Amino acid sequence: MSGLNGLFSVGSNALASFQRAMSVTGQNIANVSTPGYSRQEAVLTQTLPENGRPGQIGTGVQVAEIRRSVDSFVEQQLLGSSERIGQFGASQKALSQIQILFNDSNDQGIAAGLNDFFKALQDVATNPADLTARTVLLTKADGLTKLLNQASSQLSAQRLSLDGQVESGITDINALAGKIADLNAQIKLTEVSGQQANDLRDQRGRFLNDLAGLIDISSIEDGSGQVTVFVGIGQILVTDHTAYQLTGVPDVTNGGLLDVRYDGGTGPNTDITSSISGGRLKGLLDARDTTAAGLQSSLDTLTSQLVSQVNTQHRLGYGLDGSTTQDFFTASGTTAGTISMALTDRQKIAASSTAAGVPGNNVNALAMADLQTTAVAGLGNTTFQSYYSAMAGSFGATLQGATRDLQGQEILNDQLLAHRAEISGVSMDEELINLLKYQRAFQAASRLITTSDEMLQTIISLKR
Amino acid sequence: MRVADQQMFNTLLGNLQRSRLQMLTSQEQISSQKRVNRPEDDPSSYGQIVLDKSALSQTAQWLRNIDFGTSRVNAADQALGQVQNLITRVRELTIQASSDTTSAEGRQSIAKEVRQLQRQLVQLGNTEVAGQAVFGGTKTDVSPFVIASGDTVTYQGNAESQSIAVGENQTVQILVPGSSIFTGATTNIFDSIRDLLTAMESNDRSGIQAGIGDLDLATAQISDVQGTVGALANRLQVTHDALDTATLTISKAISDNQDADLATAISQLSLQQVAVRAASQSFSKIFDASLLNYLP
Repeated sequence: MSGLNGLFSVGSNALASFQRAMSVTGQNIANVSTPGYSRQEAVLTQTLPENGRPGQIGTGVQVAEIRRSVDSFVEQQLLGSSERIGQFGASQKALSQIQILFNDSNDQGIAAGLNDFFKALQDVATNPADLTARTVLLTKADGLTKLLNQASSQLSAQRLSLDGQVESGITDINALAGKIADLNAQIKLTEVSGQQANDLRDQRGRFLNDLAGLIDISSIEDGSGQVTVFVGIGQILVTDHTAYQLTGVPDVTNGGLLDVRYDGGTGPNTDITSSISGGRLKGLLDARDTTAAGLQSSLDTLTSQLVSQVNTQHRLGYGLDGSTTQDFFTASGTTAGTISMALTDRQKIAASSTAAGVPGNNVNALAMADLQTTAVAGLGNTTFQSYYSAMAGSFGATLQGATRDLQGQEILNDQLLAHRAEISGVSMDEELINLLKYQRAFQAASRLITTSDEMLQTIISLKR
Repeated sequence: MRVADQQMFNTLLGNLQRSRLQMLTSQEQISSQKRVNRPEDDPSSYGQIVLDKSALSQTAQWLRNIDFGTSRVNAADQALGQVQNLITRVRELTIQASSDTTSAEGRQSIAKEVRQLQRQLVQLGNTEVAGQAVFGGTKTDVSPFVIASGDTVTYQGNAESQSIAVGENQTVQILVPGSSIFTGATTNIFDSIRDLLTAMESNDRSGIQAGIGDLDLATAQISDVQGTVGALANRLQVTHDALDTATLTISKAISDNQDADLATAISQLSLQQVAVRAASQSFSKIFDASLLNYLP
């Protein structure tokens, strides 16, 4: 194919190649803001030369491949980063909501309730015959029980809400697993016929990233472009075009809150709750089962000690009407959610240490008021206030840690994204210049064709 | 090294968000005047503030208790002073009655005056504050001293005393039972006076003279109690002053931990505002310098 015909075909090769290159450039420009998009490049190579005189003559240009610029190592690092951001983000948000419980800086929290209760107790101890002081004591004590009830129910509500988020997380994981399996199938179909499934791979990469944000995974790509995804300890979530499921099963030993189980299709479900180590699920599960549950049990311990210490001392004393061995708080209400007043008659407040007829005897009330500064064995030998203060301080430290972890990881993630953008990101300058480049080349190639045409015309008009 | 457009925008967005978050923190500190608003702001300080507030509340309560106790102790002190005066008067009259120059009729009229003084003593013994008896021990709802027919005075109170809490494991007695003041300890003052009255009205000179000795014992007994009550009042005052000082110290500790340093917070806020403005302005400049502006 030498001579003028050769010129024609070189020209038409060039036109077609530059058109294709332009459309790749156009694809890049259109997707400059698409998250997870990897820049594509039309790789132009020379077509095979022909033998001719005096030597080999080139036959034009072709688009050898449309190459996707991606660094799989950076992609893997980004997956790890997504897991951690998912985990710390979920932790931080959940704990911030729980923090509302600690309203002590405005003097409205449990610490203030304890202070008011003991103050009212002191007033009765100072003036045991004063009926008003006794009424106030009953009111303040009731207020304290209501505060504890409220805190407990708020915590329970938080745990339930976290549980709901775990459930929707599981649903999302299953949906993403399904989509990844579908893409696996499509990519295989496409690449088997020799095509490069660039955009499909980008999409699959995005889904993998979303999945990593939810739960920690490990993924491996095999020779045929299929990605296998593992969760937990080696459980296969996606392989080839099959996606397995996770389910949430209520755990009776955990108050009916969900366990995360893996359904492998055959045999019983495996409980993978404790082997989840990253992603949003981990953050939610930690907040639900470690932090919130721990707070709940600390509050319960505080309450049960308060009830038992106050009741024990109160039962020893005598009320204004001579009654004795009376419970102050309901004996069976020993958790923060169940504490309530057993005493409603101010006459029965047992301030006195001896039988009635002695309204001025305050020895028992003094002993009850002393409880404020007593080191209670059941609280690890600290006072009620110290125990609460340690609880608040430790919670604050946990939340502070989660916030710092999140901020640190976000900065790391930004750096990783910058790194990825360096390799796979679209630079508008580059694309615009490519656009110009291919446009000029296209113009030149079309000029080649018109010139060849004129030359052919000339030759044809040689014979009249 | 390539610079992708998305990276530029993401970097700017990330930095802007971080700056705004810091601005928000500074704003909150300024408007609430507190550096520590919740446990995560400073966990160890938060815990310390909770403990300090509890200590402050306790101290305020102890001061309240002391105010109550002081009113009781002062009332007792005053009453005892008047009691002492009355006994002195009775002693004067008794000496007069025991003199050779006094006649039986004279002794009769002296007895009348002594009887009146005895009634006054009973009234003093029944001193009340806010409807509660001061000298009845812990039986504060009944009058401690009652005059039966004749001149016999019986004590209806008990021998218990009441204390109030003024510190951790610290109590101060605020009531001295009437039995240790009037009717018990060394001598029963009312019985002595009754016997005196009998002696005066039956013109028993030796009986009257014996009564003087009893009155001396009474005076000594009251002095004793006055000393005790004085010491109690003193102790209450000293503790009150110490607690006042403690209140200041604890309040300062809470303020140091909790309050925001306004000067620092405001200057930080200005700095962050500048940072946000600079970032936003630099962005618009970068945005302008696009190749699109220069291509046909």
